[in-house]
Amino acid sequence: MRKPRTFIERTIGSLSDGLNFAALADDSARSGGMLQRVDPRVKVAGMLAMIVSVAVTHSLIAIAGMLLIAVFFAVVSQISLLDLARWVWMPVLFFTGCIALPAIFITPGARVYGPITAQGLRTASYLLLRAETAVSLSALLVLSTRWAHILKALRVLRLPVVFVVILGMTYRYLFLILETALDMFESRESRTVGVLEGTDRRRLATATVGVLLSKSYHLSADVHLAMQSRGFRGEVYMLDDFTMRGIDWCWLFLFSAVAMTVVWVGR
Amino acid sequence: MFRVENVTFRYGSVVALDNVSLHIQEGKRSALLGANGSGKSTLLRMLDGLCFPDSGAISFRGDTIDSLSLEDDKFAFAFRRRVGLVFQNPDVQLFNPTVFDEVAFGPLQMRWLKAEIRERVETTLKTLEITHLKDRPPHRLSGGEKKRVAIASVLVLDPEVLLLDEPTAALDPRSQNQIIDLLIGWGEGKKTVITATHDLGLVEDIADDCFLLQSGTLVAHGAPAGILENQTLLRSSNLIHEHRHSHPALGIHTHPHTHRT
Amino acid sequence: MHIPDGYLSPSTCAALYAGSTPFWYVSLQKMNRRLNTQAVPLLSVFAAFSFVIMMFNLPLPGGTTGHAVGVGIASIVLGPWGSILAISVALVIQAIFFGDGGITAIGANCFNMAIVGSLVAYAVYRVIAGRAAIESPRRVVAAAIAGYCAINASAFFAAIEFGIQPMLFHDASGTPLYAPYPLHIAVPAMMIGHLTIAGLAETIVSGGVVAYLQRAEPVLLKTTAPGASMNGDPVGWTGLRPLWIALAVLLILTPLGILAAGAAWGEWVPEDFSTPQARQQIAAASGNQAPPVHVPAGLQKLASVWTAPMPRYAPPILKSAQLGYILSAMVGTGLIVLAFLGGAWIFGRFRS
Repeated sequence: MRKPRTFIERTIGSLSDGLNFAALADDSARSGGMLQRVDPRVKVAGMLAMIVSVAVTHSLIAIAGMLLIAVFFAVVSQISLLDLARWVWMPVLFFTGCIALPAIFITPGARVYGPITAQGLRTASYLLLRAETAVSLSALLVLSTRWAHILKALRVLRLPVVFVVILGMTYRYLFLILETALDMFESRESRTVGVLEGTDRRRLATATVGVLLSKSYHLSADVHLAMQSRGFRGEVYMLDDFTMRGIDWCWLFLFSAVAMTVVWVGR
Repeated sequence: MFRVENVTFRYGSVVALDNVSLHIQEGKRSALLGANGSGKSTLLRMLDGLCFPDSGAISFRGDTIDSLSLEDDKFAFAFRRRVGLVFQNPDVQLFNPTVFDEVAFGPLQMRWLKAEIRERVETTLKTLEITHLKDRPPHRLSGGEKKRVAIASVLVLDPEVLLLDEPTAALDPRSQNQIIDLLIGWGEGKKTVITATHDLGLVEDIADDCFLLQSGTLVAHGAPAGILENQTLLRSSNLIHEHRHSHPALGIHTHPHTHRT
Repeated sequence: MHIPDGYLSPSTCAALYAGSTPFWYVSLQKMNRRLNTQAVPLLSVFAAFSFVIMMFNLPLPGGTTGHAVGVGIASIVLGPWGSILAISVALVIQAIFFGDGGITAIGANCFNMAIVGSLVAYAVYRVIAGRAAIESPRRVVAAAIAGYCAINASAFFAAIEFGIQPMLFHDASGTPLYAPYPLHIAVPAMMIGHLTIAGLAETIVSGGVVAYLQRAEPVLLKTTAPGASMNGDPVGWTGLRPLWIALAVLLILTPLGILAAGAAWGEWVPEDFSTPQARQQIAAASGNQAPPVHVPAGLQKLASVWTAPMPRYAPPILKSAQLGYILSAMVGTGLIVLAFLGGAWIFGRFRS
């Protein structure tokens, strides 16, 4: 029987997963698939519209149809279905699946088999299908568009510039802090012999958090100085470099049409 | 160009700079030499108007640099453009999503025209040979690449003064040499360069004038050659040391390391 | 606790976005005013920090592990407004980039965790810490309790949001379209995990990090400690401890109530008037006067108005009545404490 993983190992696992997924997304976004070539603003608006349509519609078939469309988009954009399964579909299946399962038995309604009701089956399907489809669509966006472009494209939703700048800076420093945390845990892991006592474990965990907090605070102070050194006085600006081509308008039309169909079918 | 007059600065209870006075001439290459904790980084930041003395004054071309004078937009923009600082830790200076955005940050703050910004950024990237990195996010850069991007982000504004805090710190030897070549070539006598460092091997290559700092006080000033000869002074400033090591001919022995070739 | 897409109806999501917007707006104003230009880098780096903290597997007493949100320490170090923004930004990145939490549910998640969490954590911390010195142990306890209350308040709001879905959003055949569990299931289900595991994780992180900062960098605790006394507070924490211990003991003893046979006088349901055994009990407790044959009209009408989330103090999922009692007692006590603390905070704001 495998020894249960320590909290350090599990944390290292989570942190590494974060870094790995980000690297995967960045590489995937730079490949030459179909979605990768669409204007980021069209993708942001389009994906958002489709996710909302999945949330609004009352038709299970329409939601399932949208999921199939998402799979199709993934294939033509050279996004590996295996990757999608590992990072997106399986985790949602596990999490939402567990939550949806009891509903099959306890939702009141017409009995189908034992305590299972038709309403129970339907409601569990709604929950699972909506969750899987929505997360597939947002994964498509992230795996086909570089984060820097997603950020700039968010401006099309009329979000304030300062918010987008903060999102960008947070994302950038995420990796620095992730790596620092990973280093701290890995070096600790290599120095630990035997099993730590409960209180020691907690103290180690909270001390790590404390050190990270301290480093983060000082980092932000230094970043502030660096920003001021190059003229920052409170206003934030961005360079926009997107231009819509004919094909982008076609994509926008396509995404809108799909979203509207899904809503109309399930009205 | 820069006048530092009786400047004192404290971090809490620690005295970082104690009544320091010096004068940096325009067009010269100067070095602030000192071990860690000698106050050279603090002084550099003060020269860039990022922190201000508790007592004493700093002036640039006759204008006082303090929080009051930098409140004026026009003065602040002009100053920030003329004086550029490359931080020791490049991560602190790379806070934009891509390399291109990073180099464009300064010009954007200065509110240049967008077409002009794009052109300037491309030129600067080419000068530093990092055009191939322009769409990279900073966390996917190596140490040497980060340093070059950091330098590019400052040079794009075409400053007259370049302040450098430990430019070769944490770099592998090849990257170090590249940076040094770059710095020696830049300016060609028309620009002012002030480098803070504890690397004795670097000083003679990049500076004509040298200020030695020790625990927040200025203990020596002069041409690098003179200061580097003075081993007693260097030892008391923790810049050279004696330790045991082996030479092929002599076996294990001890002598001071001056790190000069 | 990150709510995915599909669990909340679009109108619920929209309402929570609308509810969050004023808080975001006010927070940004306050941060800009307080910090001037430093707000942008501080919030960004802190958001990145809290993102990373959420990924930590924290060791808990009993050998389990849990995850914390970091809302406790964020509120204590940055103040409530900074915390609202920093945690919101972390949640947005988690939702968009890592698919952790839905896109349509961003408003809901921010409302529950960033907004409710930060405000509750700040209020509880300020009320309990009072004017104790920065280094005093009272602040550690205050932080721990603040983190615990914040997480449970967040979970409670989420539970309510889940619980009202089946009632409000179902199709013609009665199929719930979104979250399928009504309040009396959703609330206990959410609260059990958070009153125990998630709450503990937040408690340990909040208390532990404040303790660490007291030694390593006390200046970071200054933001939320205006008027902190230099030498320890004379009243101190020891005064209140006996009260907390007494409360805890009473809490554990609540199942003793089951021993009392039958229903308390006056606490009858309409069905009792037709059951022979119940009728006998009512008569015995009422000086041997027989109850009326028909259910009193007023009782009949009003009995169906309110269905308690935890009817008879026993959530349906739990088999053990004792555990149900203790759980109900904890939730009830928690809600009362929160209400008092909330009232005290509001009152304090009006005074100062």
